[in-house]
Amino acid sequence: MTNLTDSMDLEHTLEELERAAPARVAGAVDLDSLSNLEAELTGKRSPIAEARRGIGKADPEQRKVIGVRIKEAADRIQALVDGRRIELEHAAEAQLLVDDHVDMTLDRYRLPSGSQHLLTTTMQEVSDIFLGLGYRIADGPEIETTWYNFDALNTPPEHPSRSESDTFYIDWAEGPNDVLLRAHTSPMQVRYMESHEPPVYVVVPGRVFRSDTFDATHSPVFHQIEGLAVDENLSFTDLKGTLAHFAREFFGPGREVRLLPHFFPFTEPSAEMFVSCFACDGSGCRVCSSTGWIELMGCGMVDPNVLTAVGYDPDAVSGFAFGMGVERLAQVRHGVTDIRHLYENDVRTLRQFR
Amino acid sequence: MKVSLNWLREYIDLPPGVEGELPDVLHSLGHEVESVDVLEPTFTGVVVGRVESIQPHPDADKIRLCRVTTGGEAEDVVCGAWNFEAGAVVPVAVPGAVIGGDFTIGQREIRGVTSNGMICSESELGLGDDHDGILVLDPETPIGTDFRELVDLPDVVFDVTITTNRPDVMSMIGLARELGAYYRLPVKLPETDHPTNDDAPRIAVRIDAPQVGQRFVARELKGISVSPSPVWLQQRLRRCGVRPISNIVDVTNYVMLELGQPLHAFDADEIAGRQIIVRRPVPGETLTTLDGVEHDLDPDDLVVADADRATSLAGVMGGADSEVSDATTAVLIEAAAWDPATVLFMAQRHEIRTEASARFERGVDPNLPPMVTARAARLMIELGGGTASAEVTDVYPTVAEPHTVMLSTSLCDRVLGVTLGAERISELLRLLGLEVAGGPEEFSVTVPTYRRDLARPIDLVEEVARLHGYNNFPETLPSGPAGGLSVAQRRERTLRSLLAGAGLSEAQNFSFHGQAELDKLRLPPDDPRRVSVSVKNPLREEESLMRTTLLPGLLNSARHNVSNGNSDVFLFEIGRVFLSGESSEFEGVPEQPRHLGFIAVGATAPDGVGSQRRPVDAYTATAAWKLVADRMGLDSAILRPAAIPGLHPVRSAEVVLDGAVIGSVGELVPSVAAAFDLEGRVAVGEVMLDPIVADRGRWELQPPSPYPKVKLDLAFDVSDAVTAADLLGAVRNASGVLLESVDVFDEYRGTGLADGRKSLAVRCAFRAQDRTLTDEEIAIIRKDIESAVSDVLDGRLRGGSS
Repeated sequence: MTNLTDSMDLEHTLEELERAAPARVAGAVDLDSLSNLEAELTGKRSPIAEARRGIGKADPEQRKVIGVRIKEAADRIQALVDGRRIELEHAAEAQLLVDDHVDMTLDRYRLPSGSQHLLTTTMQEVSDIFLGLGYRIADGPEIETTWYNFDALNTPPEHPSRSESDTFYIDWAEGPNDVLLRAHTSPMQVRYMESHEPPVYVVVPGRVFRSDTFDATHSPVFHQIEGLAVDENLSFTDLKGTLAHFAREFFGPGREVRLLPHFFPFTEPSAEMFVSCFACDGSGCRVCSSTGWIELMGCGMVDPNVLTAVGYDPDAVSGFAFGMGVERLAQVRHGVTDIRHLYENDVRTLRQFR
Repeated sequence: MKVSLNWLREYIDLPPGVEGELPDVLHSLGHEVESVDVLEPTFTGVVVGRVESIQPHPDADKIRLCRVTTGGEAEDVVCGAWNFEAGAVVPVAVPGAVIGGDFTIGQREIRGVTSNGMICSESELGLGDDHDGILVLDPETPIGTDFRELVDLPDVVFDVTITTNRPDVMSMIGLARELGAYYRLPVKLPETDHPTNDDAPRIAVRIDAPQVGQRFVARELKGISVSPSPVWLQQRLRRCGVRPISNIVDVTNYVMLELGQPLHAFDADEIAGRQIIVRRPVPGETLTTLDGVEHDLDPDDLVVADADRATSLAGVMGGADSEVSDATTAVLIEAAAWDPATVLFMAQRHEIRTEASARFERGVDPNLPPMVTARAARLMIELGGGTASAEVTDVYPTVAEPHTVMLSTSLCDRVLGVTLGAERISELLRLLGLEVAGGPEEFSVTVPTYRRDLARPIDLVEEVARLHGYNNFPETLPSGPAGGLSVAQRRERTLRSLLAGAGLSEAQNFSFHGQAELDKLRLPPDDPRRVSVSVKNPLREEESLMRTTLLPGLLNSARHNVSNGNSDVFLFEIGRVFLSGESSEFEGVPEQPRHLGFIAVGATAPDGVGSQRRPVDAYTATAAWKLVADRMGLDSAILRPAAIPGLHPVRSAEVVLDGAVIGSVGELVPSVAAAFDLEGRVAVGEVMLDPIVADRGRWELQPPSPYPKVKLDLAFDVSDAVTAADLLGAVRNASGVLLESVDVFDEYRGTGLADGRKSLAVRCAFRAQDRTLTDEEIAIIRKDIESAVSDVLDGRLRGGSS
């Protein structure tokens, strides 16, 4: 009977444990107290452990039954504890995430950021349009000879652009005295043709100089992009199509292009190219001075004299050339009303370039 | 050039209402219309009247009482002007008239007398600036005429820009010819008939410089009386921007505007020795022009002289002495042809630009003078009476003839890209007044002497295209055989992006600087940056030298920013500098390599709560350079401490790439920074661009090793003179291929170290590609490093851990 009484006591103890466990486990408010409780319920000095130690004293026939019963109670309690632990871990993480709160609109730190100049990005953008048409980019000297700047471009000796009121001349003590600051990027046309056989498809972005007082609309230093194509059978319609393509790539689809006769010594026929205003679509606005058209560049078919001067045969090849002001492109598109902002290097301006 | 539409219509029957489309039509022909001014009369009810008699006002001294008729019975009109007498013909605003746009004239009591209207001045009628007196008209003007008819209103005035190659269009007749070709309308030449006399010319003409004085036509008039021009003539001149002076002078201007040939009128009685000589100036000769300026004449000038002295700068401006005056009765009309370049350079030399020089310097048809002098004689006689000698003096050493140009249809087709056809081509050329013969493969085109711009076949192709209409050609899009960026161009773009990504903004400065900037940089006298090529004709002293360094521009930009409250300034610039040696890249010009420059002022981290602002110093400059060297793959680049002029003597270094010095980085000397109004430390750098962006060839991927890394920190006691680069070099040399990375992570002076010594600590990482390194291997490397630093740098290991 002792055994029976003992087993009944054990059963009583286990039932009591199982009955009280849910409330006790639920009462553990944090992971530490849960660990303490776990030790109390299932640890070395817990009633469960004590019961396990008592298995040896029980009837051999009953040992297995008792063992199974103890394990059942232990598992049940352990499951409660494990469940609670997960709950508490989740709660702890949730709290941690709450405590981690920051003001995401506050700048405590910034990665450095600078910008490339609007003139640079404009020249790159224009160049890229022509790269897509199979052109290359060439770069020429900014101090040029009068030969390349004027003579080779068919500019007569008495042409007013040669005067000191238009062109900066250079005093080069160590070298020949016919050097100047190039007044356009066109001299590079000649240099390029001298060193390359046709077909030639090239754009020349770069800095040019004219003796103009620095004001809102003039700068003694400015930038141009020159384009030159010389090949068999290039014609006036190719010039028109090329410039129309450029205008639509740069100012957006739907732009119309208008060529009107003009005069340049190094092209014949010569034209000025206008594009329909991108801001008002031609109806007239501030950007286009109410004309609906924006004057973009000078262009024309390369004069046979220029081809001859570089050793090309004007009966075998023909070509077209165009030159546009980079400042003007940037001004028109970005509403830069005072060109001086482009040379002030004020970081408040530079930061806006993108 | 200002063009009155009413005037233009005298030579061509333009359709009514054409003014709306005329700007576009002219532009399509290459003549851009800059502005359009619609002129409406600002008055109504003004008629021509005659002052019958004048009496003093009974109650006022300054005004008079006029009896004025406008066709009917004379009425009283009170007038405050005194520039006329009884019999004068004047414009009268009768009661009910409106002047000045909105001012109605009524019967009005003036000091007790009723005034029946008002006698008007030019300015009251909106016709000119003259308000000194009333407008006195030609006495022959029919009384009662509506004054609007007299002044040719309404009218439209176009301001047209004529390109320099088209001097023939700088006249009414020239524009009429262009429009005639466009509208297919005939052009009427003005009348030239005039009364003549049989007197032989009194003035002899001689050209001593026939190369540049190409023709001189003199037509003599006698019995002329000089007076103001009639209103219609004055109005036409005014609308074209010319101030009326007197009938004779006004006619010379009128005919120039009409036909494009500048004219000069001499008082024939004032021509000394009765001779005109076209010659070069004699040494020391001077000439006072009409504007009262005395000019020292240049041997390359050309003058028109009489027996005594030069009387005008040929084709530019006349002199004061032989000018027509009110007393003149005999006039010599000069029409000449001058060498365009001679006139251009003369006008530039003497800084005079006139309507005449603007035409002569572009080239005036040498066959115009007989006709224009006849036209001028007709008008002068019409307005001033008298007769002209039937015999005209004409000195014309080399007669200009029309020339012939051969034009092939195929050239036209090839250049223009469309087949217009022989018929269309010849039609267009004929419309322009050219004689076309032959065809259909090739035409012989005869060009009149007023179109000397048409010298070659290609010039005719342009004419065909122009008149066909540029906008009537289709668009075709050709492309090149192969394009793309070169390696250096691509690497330059990478470099710009890299610097912008690192927080520097790109600047663009002018390519000039002045001596003062170089002085502010404290460059020694023998510094190569002081050897400049200079600008012969700079706009300002600060722009008189071509830049030899990008630093002054960047420093001025930094100053601009700081003075505008932008305290943190990080800029870079890529641009050419100009050296005195000859370029190896481009023949015949100075060397002009591109440089990369940068500047940093202020602190690196931007403002923000709790941010760590790191003030700029020399390390900002080295960090910027190292970023470039690292990302551009410049593995051999090193910094070599050096005293660079302008930079801080112990905070600057040379940049060495592939064994050559390509620039410098460092801090500015404080006094240099102060010279540019900058406070605090200023970091700068300037290096040659080409070696940086040049193709560095192919690189190969180093696969990352899967084996563990072994770290080793070593601190060395070294002399102050030993640099971080020295130590890193020694460590690298001693470590061999197993070294993955090495950096200096600590620099320390003080306790535990002797004077003149410092501690430099390096952190090394070792790793093998094919195995886990053993402690023994590391111990050997460590020993090698220790002995290398000891041998090469006299450094002693202070301790370390692995």
